[in-house]
Amino acid sequence: MANTRIDNLKKNIAAALSDQKKSDLLLGCMKRGRDTRKAALESLPGGAAFRDDVRAAKERCIENLPELKKQFIENARKRGATVIEAKNGKDVISYCLALAEKHQAKIIAKSKSLTTEEIEMNHPLIDAGVDVVETDLGELIIQLVDERPFHLVFPSVHKMAPDVAKIFSDATGQQVADDIPSIMKVVRTYLRPIFLKSDIGLTGANIGIAETGGICIETNEGNGRLVSSIGTCHVCVIGMEKIVESIEDALLMILAHPVSASGQLPTNYVTWMHGRCDLGEGGGNDRETHLIILDNGRTEMRHGFLREALYCIRCGACMNTCPTYGIVGGHTFGHIYPGPMGICWTAGVHGMETAGDFAQLCISCGLCKEICPAKINLPQMIAEVKHEDAKNAGHLLANRVMIGADKAAKLGSATAPIANAALSSPLMRKAMEKTIGLSAERKLPPFASTTFMKRFSARTPIDDQHDPKKQVAFFVDVYANYNDPDLGLAAVAALEKQGCAVIVPDQGVSGYPCIAYGDMDGARRAAAANVEKLAPWVKKGYDVVATEPTAAYALAVSYPALLPDSQDARLLAGATHEFFEYLLRLEDEAGTPAPSEKLSGSRLGYHCSCHQRPLGSGHGAMNWLKRRGADVRLIETGTCCGMGGTFGLKAGLLGHELSSAVGEQLFTLFKEARLDAIVTESSVCSIQLAEGTGMKIYHPLQLPGLI
Amino acid sequence: MAYQFSENFEKLHGISHRVASSSEAVDTIAAICRQKQARCIALAGLPETVIAQLESACGADIEILKEPYPAASLPLAIDRADIGVTGMAFAIAQSGTMVEVCDNDAVRLVSSLPATHIGLLHEADIIDSYFESSGAIREIINRHGDDVVISFISGPSRTGDIELKLTLGVHGPEEAHAIIISGEQR
Repeated sequence: MANTRIDNLKKNIAAALSDQKKSDLLLGCMKRGRDTRKAALESLPGGAAFRDDVRAAKERCIENLPELKKQFIENARKRGATVIEAKNGKDVISYCLALAEKHQAKIIAKSKSLTTEEIEMNHPLIDAGVDVVETDLGELIIQLVDERPFHLVFPSVHKMAPDVAKIFSDATGQQVADDIPSIMKVVRTYLRPIFLKSDIGLTGANIGIAETGGICIETNEGNGRLVSSIGTCHVCVIGMEKIVESIEDALLMILAHPVSASGQLPTNYVTWMHGRCDLGEGGGNDRETHLIILDNGRTEMRHGFLREALYCIRCGACMNTCPTYGIVGGHTFGHIYPGPMGICWTAGVHGMETAGDFAQLCISCGLCKEICPAKINLPQMIAEVKHEDAKNAGHLLANRVMIGADKAAKLGSATAPIANAALSSPLMRKAMEKTIGLSAERKLPPFASTTFMKRFSARTPIDDQHDPKKQVAFFVDVYANYNDPDLGLAAVAALEKQGCAVIVPDQGVSGYPCIAYGDMDGARRAAAANVEKLAPWVKKGYDVVATEPTAAYALAVSYPALLPDSQDARLLAGATHEFFEYLLRLEDEAGTPAPSEKLSGSRLGYHCSCHQRPLGSGHGAMNWLKRRGADVRLIETGTCCGMGGTFGLKAGLLGHELSSAVGEQLFTLFKEARLDAIVTESSVCSIQLAEGTGMKIYHPLQLPGLI
Repeated sequence: MAYQFSENFEKLHGISHRVASSSEAVDTIAAICRQKQARCIALAGLPETVIAQLESACGADIEILKEPYPAASLPLAIDRADIGVTGMAFAIAQSGTMVEVCDNDAVRLVSSLPATHIGLLHEADIIDSYFESSGAIREIINRHGDDVVISFISGPSRTGDIELKLTLGVHGPEEAHAIIISGEQR
């Protein structure tokens, strides 16, 4: 039953919200991940440009995977490795059980491997009497308490030193002091005999190289070196998507992975293992290496909408920027693979239903896509997962309401006096919360009785547009049309002032809520309709400009992915502009505008909505404000304000409550920044920030000094 | 380039030493041994001359383990060593990385079991940028037989798994030295 699943999810969210300490640890970890990544990018020649190289390499290697895998296997076998292809976890486990028996193995020392986590292979081996010991410290900590990774890169980030000391006190039977150096001494002494006595060393591999038949293992602790060198038998479980073509590809991945994960270039130790070396002299020929190439759903992923997930290099950067993951952590936001990539990988290897259990935690802010070293379109894939899940389980009522919010807005505008009275009546709002799941506490903008569309078509046409500098097709979307026509008209006026001929062609809504809640049929319909209506204008030389960040994002980023075969969708995307970025360029082209002091002395904090990140990150608006004398600063946490479009408008844990928890850090930053007001271009972020900060919020075009 | 390598290696909490000759390198190793009060050191992948000089520099107080290591004695023999010294094939300045190449895993144990690791490299073998290393790696893999391990070593063993606090030496060396010999070709 869908409701049981959602109830479980809500129970987990509630538990996470009451554990502030855990969340603070995780948020600290994520921030550090983002900060160190940023610092590394600054020192890297070309900065973030390596993402294009990674993307291209991954596209090529996944496209050619069958051939590369064949080449990898041939070359590895030439070097004496035993290579097997495992369909699933069961195959891997039975192979390893047989190996353990053959070698009469008592101890298997293991270095960190997410692929072996994926197939949960420790327990069956332990049940068969083999002592399987994780040697990566974080993995060992969670193994000792039988938990799953809380974070991909820092699996035990939710444990403080005293917790860890207690875990090792229990494991060793001796009192361990709770300072980190003491713990480390104990860990070293605890693990050293495991390394030395291990019969089998079990590793994953970050990379398989087709050209050479070798594997690369990246670690910081150096455990991978010990695990792969000591035991007579080495076993490596590698996901088939890790195979790359060449040494150059391998070097690229070896760099991209730690830069994105922890700002290192590269990890402390990278082991390029080819064949199996002897250990010492005169030991006979009994050293073995077994490479197990795991499929476990990957072939199917390659042929479906999860294909891009195979580009994932497991750096964990997506979870370092994911707003809701930061509050609830990997045990709630994840199955075995946590975070945004966890939704896609769970769907691919553990089943759509398991992924659906936590996919609703994605609020479709899209930040994961912006940080991903392989530029994976995570929000699109997650939307497809939600869509598949809804086919079986149906959409949640509150989500259905939000998918249809544009129709409600149309009705609200047509019946504005009544609708506005209802929206401001606490009793009515309580009733609406109960029936349709709209949070009663959210202060919503009133509806305008005359829409932007009507007002635009009713206005006196402007005469002096015979030789316009630019032709602009204005895209208005829901808010400016039904709630704030003045904003839309101000935007049009500003464009006209710069010499643009502005039209408002027939258009639909952006349809982004359909993506956010996984109604992909609706999303594709909305996209196709707008492409059909707007592309002809683009062909006539019009630029498309939108004030609502999410609308611009839908047209410029989402539509080409929704309609991959549509040339017109790409055409529209290329012609779509974020309003201020466009306006600023017009000002530039017209020559330096006379400095205006209208906003002089006003201290403004700018909030960049997530969907502006790939569209200039709000620099257009900030520079435009600075030109008018404002003292404007970007205030940001590095993640979302928590609103997530309409997510935060929904009542309860899977809405308002989680949304507020996400926003808390940003609210504090704004409140402490000594500002006169907050400016943001997003209609929904402004609802969130107004409530969270109690401060004045304006769209840049509507600042009091300007009007 | 040696300067850039040193700077980056030290950013990663490694310790670098620049010396003018292999006999100065031996002096540096001997000094580290004294400072660490080492009783036993393990060597691998070093030129005969350096081994001979080290044996005379360390005297009878320090036990020196060297190749060939009998298979039956491993890994325990090397685990006894306080310091491991290995020769490096080349290094990458941009990332502060020493590159060790072996066709016997005893070498890897020498650079990973002891609490202190010293890597010996020639200034002429330092390449500038990370991506430039592909040619050298390809050449090494082609030159060796079927079994070869290339290890990138960028500083001492480290972890941030408890409270994200950087801690050195969790499994492998807590101290990593790079001795850069200038003026001499390998």
